[in-house]
Formats: sequence, structure tokens, C-alpha cells
Amino acid sequence: MRVLLVEDDADMAESLRASLAADEHEVEIAGDGELGQSMAATGGYDVIVLDRMLPKKLGVSVVRELREQGVSTPVLILSALHDEDHRVEGLNAGANDYLGKPFSTRELLARVRALWNGRDRDVQTRLQVGDLEMDLLARTVKRGGKKLDLQPREFRLLEYLMRNSGQTVTRKMLLENVWDYHFDPQTNVIDVHISRLRSKIDRDFAQSLLHTVRGSGYRLEA
Amino acid sequence: MRPSLALLRTTTFRLALAQAGVVLVFVVALLVYVYFATIGQLVADSDVLADQEYAALERAYAEGGIRRLNQEVVERAARQGPLLYVLAEGNGVVVTGDFQQLPSLPGESVQRIDFGFESTDAEGAAQRGRARGKVGRLLNGPILLVARDLGDSEVMSGRITRVLWTVAILGVFLSIASGLIASWLASRRAEALASTARDVMAGDLKRRAPVRGEGDEFDALAEAMNAMLDRLERLMQVSRTAGDAIAHDLRSPLTRFRQKLEAALEAPADTANDREALRKALEEADSLLDMFAAVLKLARVESNPNWRFERIDASDILRELVDFYEPAAEEQGRTLRGEIAPDLFVNGETGLFTQAVSNLVENALKYTPEGGHIALTAARRSDGRIEIAVSDDGPGIAPADRDRVQERFVRLESARSSPGAGLGLSLVAAVARLHRGGLHLRDGLDNGEGKGLGAALVLPAAA
Repeated sequence: MRVLLVEDDADMAESLRASLAADEHEVEIAGDGELGQSMAATGGYDVIVLDRMLPKKLGVSVVRELREQGVSTPVLILSALHDEDHRVEGLNAGANDYLGKPFSTRELLARVRALWNGRDRDVQTRLQVGDLEMDLLARTVKRGGKKLDLQPREFRLLEYLMRNSGQTVTRKMLLENVWDYHFDPQTNVIDVHISRLRSKIDRDFAQSLLHTVRGSGYRLEA
Repeated sequence: MRPSLALLRTTTFRLALAQAGVVLVFVVALLVYVYFATIGQLVADSDVLADQEYAALERAYAEGGIRRLNQEVVERAARQGPLLYVLAEGNGVVVTGDFQQLPSLPGESVQRIDFGFESTDAEGAAQRGRARGKVGRLLNGPILLVARDLGDSEVMSGRITRVLWTVAILGVFLSIASGLIASWLASRRAEALASTARDVMAGDLKRRAPVRGEGDEFDALAEAMNAMLDRLERLMQVSRTAGDAIAHDLRSPLTRFRQKLEAALEAPADTANDREALRKALEEADSLLDMFAAVLKLARVESNPNWRFERIDASDILRELVDFYEPAAEEQGRTLRGEIAPDLFVNGETGLFTQAVSNLVENALKYTPEGGHIALTAARRSDGRIEIAVSDDGPGIAPADRDRVQERFVRLESARSSPGAGLGLSLVAAVARLHRGGLHLRDGLDNGEGKGLGAALVLPAAA
């Protein structure tokens, strides 16, 4: 997919470009906010990765103005300021995701893909991955036609995984989206939640759906 | 600035001047009142009395003519009393009465008259007096004057007036004098506060404003100032020791980081070894970045007052935290249970509040041995505040060390081997202070040999 990277630090931009290119994205770079905004408005990109602190125009203003112009390309803001208030400010301006620096490359790649995948979600009332089915209205989950009994939290975890099926979701993405927690737990808390969920959806079936992606996170895939 | 002039500019002195003004206004008001209550009343009474007498004499004239009138005037003038009479012919020549001549010739109509006169007292000494009454021409010409001697009351009201003016002048003088003294005293105490502030600015952080123990507003100000200075001193101390601690704590991971890269560079090229060295270097870099993030977050919590506070449902957040950590605790052979009263609300920042409690839970998970128990309890205390406690049956912390572990970068010897920068409890304490509460470390659950650790966040309840 085509990614616009708006970042003024040339070293950082080049390193991100290389990582995104290695993940099979076509990357173009803008070195300041104004250039970034005009490229974003006309370039037909799939995802925009935007630094918060930019010369000429701040990232938050760029997003706000793009949204006012009716540009709905998903935007990920990168920021060294990742306290709650800055995050909320960025999301309120119209950004779709907010990632605090420092971040791992894998985290960034996973989020860029998730943005692309999630661009027209929320209209679905049913989710399906292989023979796993989720009915969002009745709040039921079935696998191979057999009803699974999930706790509310497990349901939300599975819902997020299903919405992002086929791609890697990181522990941080799960924390932020399923629990709305914006700190790093020091223990393997997420792994245990995943393994409990896995025991419910995979244990009695030959084919595993919930995979661990070493070093990155998890992927739900048929 | 000359001190004498400075004194005149003080608030207290201005208040004293205002007070002097009030005294003056009060005395003038009192004078007006006294005048109306004495002279004014007397004049009114005199007018009534003079009218009655005049009317009676008019009747006598109408019934008995000039002879009868003359007789009445002679009789009445001879009586003791404050009333004075004069009967004169139409041309003003006095026929009979208390005076040898009229004070003035009346016009055609009956009129009020207010006049001075001289009389002789019993010893024959001349006396000046004042009288008020009515004078007019009767039918066919004779002039009749009836008046009341105002003498004594006039003297009395003069005395009262003099006393009041004396009081007024004394009052104004005393107000100004007491204002000067009060402003001198007040500026002396304000100067003591100001000199404390100047000394502190000059670098003497130990200096404190004097508190007299009288519980007055200056003491309150001095106490508030001293509390501020205590906090300032603590912050200075903290930033000084934190600087040292950061330098010290960063040195070891940075050294390891450098050493690993150097060793990999110097060793013969070996892909597997190089990758392992890179992986380890990355881990070190991550732990350094985590430490920076923790320091920055702590600094932001301690120095930034602009967090967006809202009414948050603490019970809900705490139940979710128990749900979040319970599976991991169980996996690690520890029991985490929650006893959370419903409907506990606090004013706070959701993210910070959640992280603070999660730090406490993670600390408990880290320091409680396998098979241990951890309880997250939350309830409203009898004083109305909300207490959120994480108690464990781990090794605990000796009471002597409990204050120290809340300082940043402080890690007890027993914790040296486990990961962490020693910022967790500092952050919790800082978040508690931000929420106008506190973190209290105390005995936790019984661990067989003694007590584990109990960490209690005590926060004010939201309305």
C-alpha cells in the first residue's frame, strides 16, 4: 500500500522508510508539515504516518485541516509526547491512532496495517474467521456451529482480533484497544489472557486460529 | 524609599485614615442629632407655647378690650417662668411687659420672631439671652409680643457641642495614631516575611518565616509560606538527588550497552554471535528508554498542574484491574482477590489513577513469593475518604524503610536483583499527591513469620 511519511528528522525518516519498504509498502517522504499536508491532500495515499513536532505546521494541525478538507485517509501520529492529554488531543483532531516514541518497528508496522484494514469497520454486525463466527448484535460466538462461552472481556479481545484478522496485533495494541490502558504492564498479563482465550476457541479443534507471532504479538488467521 | 513615607502608604494606615473619617462623620451626625433633640425640640415647644399664650391674650382683648389685655399682660409678666410678654402701642412705644422696647416693629401680619435681649439677674448683673416667640398687631393697633426665653438650653447645647467636637478631634487623632502604630507593627511583620523570601531567593533554603504562635493572619501567612518552602526544599533536594541518581543509574546500563557493542565489534565476524549481541544491546536500550519514560512521567505528574480531572468511577476501574491481573497472578501461582465496595468516585485523571494502582499490584506480584496472596481492597473510610489498598503476604518492608522507598530511585538491597528503576512507588506517591491524597505503607497480610506489605492510597471522595 502507499504510505506518506511526514517526518523532519532525515535519519529517522530514512530508517522508517526502509522498514516500511521491507514490509512491502510504497513510501513517500515529506520533510515538513505544509508539504506533508499538500501531498496528503492530493497524493491518494492509503495511510499517513505523521510526526507530531514538524517544522512549518504541527502534526495535529495537519490532521485537523486534512479532515476539514474532507481527506479521510487513516492517520497515525508519532509523538515523543504520549501522555493521555496529548493522545486525546491528537485523536480529537482526527487522527486514527497515536503511537508514542520510542516505539519498536514491529509496533509501527502492525499499526500501519491495522489502520489500512480498519478503514471501513464498524458497519459489520457479524465477523467471521474460518469457522469462527461472532454475532455482534446477539453477542454470541460460535466455532464450527458450536456455541462458545466467553467472558465479556474475552469477547472484546476476540472481537478486536477478528476485526484485525490476518494481521499481527501487538500487545500494546491489545492493551490500548481492548483495555484502554496506556501503560506497559511489566508482567506477561496479556499473554495469559490470550492463552485463556486460545483454550476456549482452539483447544477442541484441529486447526489453530490464534497464532503467536514471535517478538511481535498475535495473529488470528484461518 | 524613606521609611516614614513607606509607613503612610501601608494598607493598615489607609484603613486608619478611613476610620478617622468615619469618626468625624459620626460626630457630625451626633451634633445634628443633639441639635434637633435639644434646640430643635425647644423651638418647636416654644412656638406651641407662644401660640397658646398669644391666642389667650387675643381672646382677653376681644372680651375685655385694651384694659383687660393690659391687666392680663401685667399679671402674666409678673409670673415666674420662661415666658416673656410685651404690650406696646401701635407706634411701638411699650405700654407694659418684660422689655423696655420691642426688638422690632412688626409688619401687618402676625410673625415669628427670634431675638437677643439683655436682662439683669437677681444681683443686678447684665445677662445676654435669646428668646423666640410671636409678635403681631391686634385689632385697632396695639402690638402684642409673646416669647420664650431660650437661655439655659442654649448654654447646655453649646456645652454638648463643645464636648462632641473635643471627642471628634481626639478620635481622629487617636485613629491616626493607632493606624500609624498598627501599620508600623504590620509592616514589621510583613518585612520579616519579605526578608525570609529574600534570604531563600539568595540561596538559604533552610530559612523559615517566624511564626509567633498567636494564630493571627500573619501566622497563617507565615505557616503557608513555610509549607511552601518545605515543598520547595524537598523538590530541590529531590531534583538534586534525582540528578545524581539518574547519572548513577544510567551509567551501568549504558556501560553494558557500550560493552556489548564493543565486544561484538572486536570478536571475529560471526552472524549468530552478532545477532545475539544486537539483541542484548536492544534490550539494554529499551530498559534505558523505559527509565527515561518513567522519569519524564514522574516529572510531569509532579510539575504539571494541568491534568484534566474528571469524576471517575474508581470501583469500576479497580474491578477491571483485578480482572486484568488475576489470570497472570494465577498463572504465576499467586492469588489476587478484590474486595471493592461499589460506587466509589474520585476526582482524578483516569490514566494516572489506573497506572498508580497497577504499579501497586505489580509490585505485590513481583515481591510476593509463589503461593502468596494479594488483596486489592477499596472502601470508604469513616472520615469519608476513599482508601484503596494493595496488601500482600510477601516479605514486607521494615517500618524504618517505608518512607525511604517512596523516594525516587530508592531500591532496597533485597530488591536489587529484580528489574526496575525504583520509580514505581515514587510515581504512585506523586499521583496520590496530585489527587490531594497520600500513599501510606503499612503492615500487609500475615505471612506466617510477620507481616507483608500493605500499600494504601487514600484519596478524597468526589462529591
